[in-house]
Amino acid sequence: MIWLTWRQFRIQTLAAAAALAAFAILLAATGPHLASLYAASAITGCHGGTCLTAVSGFLSRLSVTSPYSLVYELGIGLILAAPAIIGIFWGAPLIARELETRTFTLVWNQSITRTRWLAVKLTLTGLAAMAVTEALSLMFAWWADPIAKATGLSQGFLVFPPFTGGRFSSLIFTTHGITPLGYAAFAFTLGTATGALIRRAVPAMAVTLAIFAAVQLAMPLWVRPHLIPPDHTVATIESAQLDFGNLTATVVPGHQGAWIITSAAINAAGHPVSTLPAPCLGPPDAKAPNPGQCMESRGYREAITYEPASRYWPIQWIETGIFLALALTLAGFCFWRLGRRRT
Amino acid sequence: MSAAIETEGLGKRYRRQWALTDCTLSIPAGHVVGLVGPNGAGKTTLLSLAVGLLAPDAGTIEVLGGMPGAGPTQLARVGFLAQDSPVYAGLSVADHLKLGARLNPGWDEGLARGRVDRLDLDPGQKAGTLSGGQRAQLALTLAIAKRPELLILDEPVASLDPLARREFLADLMQAVAEQQLSVVLSSHLVADLERVCDYLIVLVGSRVRVAGPVDELLATHHLLSGPYRDPATLPGGLKVISASHTDVQTTLLVRTSGGILDPAWTVFQVGLEDLVLAYMSQATGRRRRDNHHLEVRK
Repeated sequence: MIWLTWRQFRIQTLAAAAALAAFAILLAATGPHLASLYAASAITGCHGGTCLTAVSGFLSRLSVTSPYSLVYELGIGLILAAPAIIGIFWGAPLIARELETRTFTLVWNQSITRTRWLAVKLTLTGLAAMAVTEALSLMFAWWADPIAKATGLSQGFLVFPPFTGGRFSSLIFTTHGITPLGYAAFAFTLGTATGALIRRAVPAMAVTLAIFAAVQLAMPLWVRPHLIPPDHTVATIESAQLDFGNLTATVVPGHQGAWIITSAAINAAGHPVSTLPAPCLGPPDAKAPNPGQCMESRGYREAITYEPASRYWPIQWIETGIFLALALTLAGFCFWRLGRRRT
Repeated sequence: MSAAIETEGLGKRYRRQWALTDCTLSIPAGHVVGLVGPNGAGKTTLLSLAVGLLAPDAGTIEVLGGMPGAGPTQLARVGFLAQDSPVYAGLSVADHLKLGARLNPGWDEGLARGRVDRLDLDPGQKAGTLSGGQRAQLALTLAIAKRPELLILDEPVASLDPLARREFLADLMQAVAEQQLSVVLSSHLVADLERVCDYLIVLVGSRVRVAGPVDELLATHHLLSGPYRDPATLPGGLKVISASHTDVQTTLLVRTSGGILDPAWTVFQVGLEDLVLAYMSQATGRRRRDNHHLEVRK
């Protein structure tokens, strides 16, 4: 059965291996130079204000002069797309193609139960799916390490697209750590289950893509912020280092690297405000040389809900666990569906 | 004589539509059994139930005394060749043999190789490029080389041209003779079955219309021709299967265990095809009459 799985899955495996190899070559070719730029940027060993200067110099150089922003975007895009591609091309046809071409009548009449057939196929292909996606993620994390360090230090002050987010930002969180394992397992079993249900490969592929894209979007938007109930704090305008455009905090005082989920300025009465209060719009005076001090003096505060940086790994584990549990459920559905022998 | 397939009130439903209802039959082992019936009689459904590709919605089915498809042992005992003999288009002939070898503990490599050589199949050729006849031969090779006790074939020759059909059946017969296989094969063409089967079952609308060894069926059925006569006046022991009348003449297909003694009749030998058609039209005729009653009642 292992041989048959490999034989039927050979081309997909080779395609995945080729894609991995091409990506590895790209990263290996550009990675050392990126690291040398980082080394030359004086970010290592910087203190206080010099850090921002160094980070700014490094990131601005990357974003304008080099292929790095392109590779960065490509890498993130690839890790995001890999589970979907796997779900579509590995998962959806796994059962549907057998039903469509009626080859199930051949293979399910060998001296092996279809439960065993499915178990071997799901296990081997599923593990391959997880390995490929995680390998992409790890390779990219190695390559992008200097960028991750720099954006970590910039704390949201400096915006040099595409290097905009810290490690909690939706795209970075989804593509780093162990979550790619969960996404890959989920997408693969989603494809298989959809194929078993729809019984035709091409429609199953389309449905798989639609569902997976929706889940991939919904997770960071609506689910991830609630995986661990966030903490609340009310900080001074000054210490929250407000972005005066929309009055949101850029840092959580005392919690470096925290993930700000919501933040809003509140007035002395505790009501949220969305725009700079009128008196602070005018030219600065001696009493309030900047909008922050102006707001400060009028009793404004910043209310923030956030996840401290220490919860990065717990949230990673929970999110991965959720997707692995979903994957097991979907696999269970496939077994149940085949066991009912409605073919 | 033990039963190859034994069913009791067997039924299978696709959504609302029953494909097979209340089917009770016993197919003996040690024969080459032809299962014949019109399209939609439930042959494919019955055979799919027998190999466990479908689960019954009503009644029971036992194959060689076990539950169809229940486990590796049961699967190893039954070989199956589905309609149109599907194979993996992207896999070569040699890959298919390897598949068989890997998935069947009882695989007979010598037998498989021998067949492929004799049938002149190129081991390197992709199965998707084989002709219909070659594909059927390859699928049959897989089904036989796992050394089953019972081989079930669903319309194995329906899509083959006459020459390929003849070759396939001759080859099947050779394998049966060599390996002492029990065989059940379905067809809606009696001519195919006549050549290979020694036992016949006519299935119409999930019901067995007639079943028995071919020799016995031929020996007990007679075609009678004589002056006009009402079939109701015939002596007991004669069962009329079909009757046709002109003003002066009556032609009957009858079943009897004894001889035909009445000198008024001219007795003809009946062929298997006429016999089967008589039983099939008997069933459809009855159904037509039922429909007529319904219409009148409306």
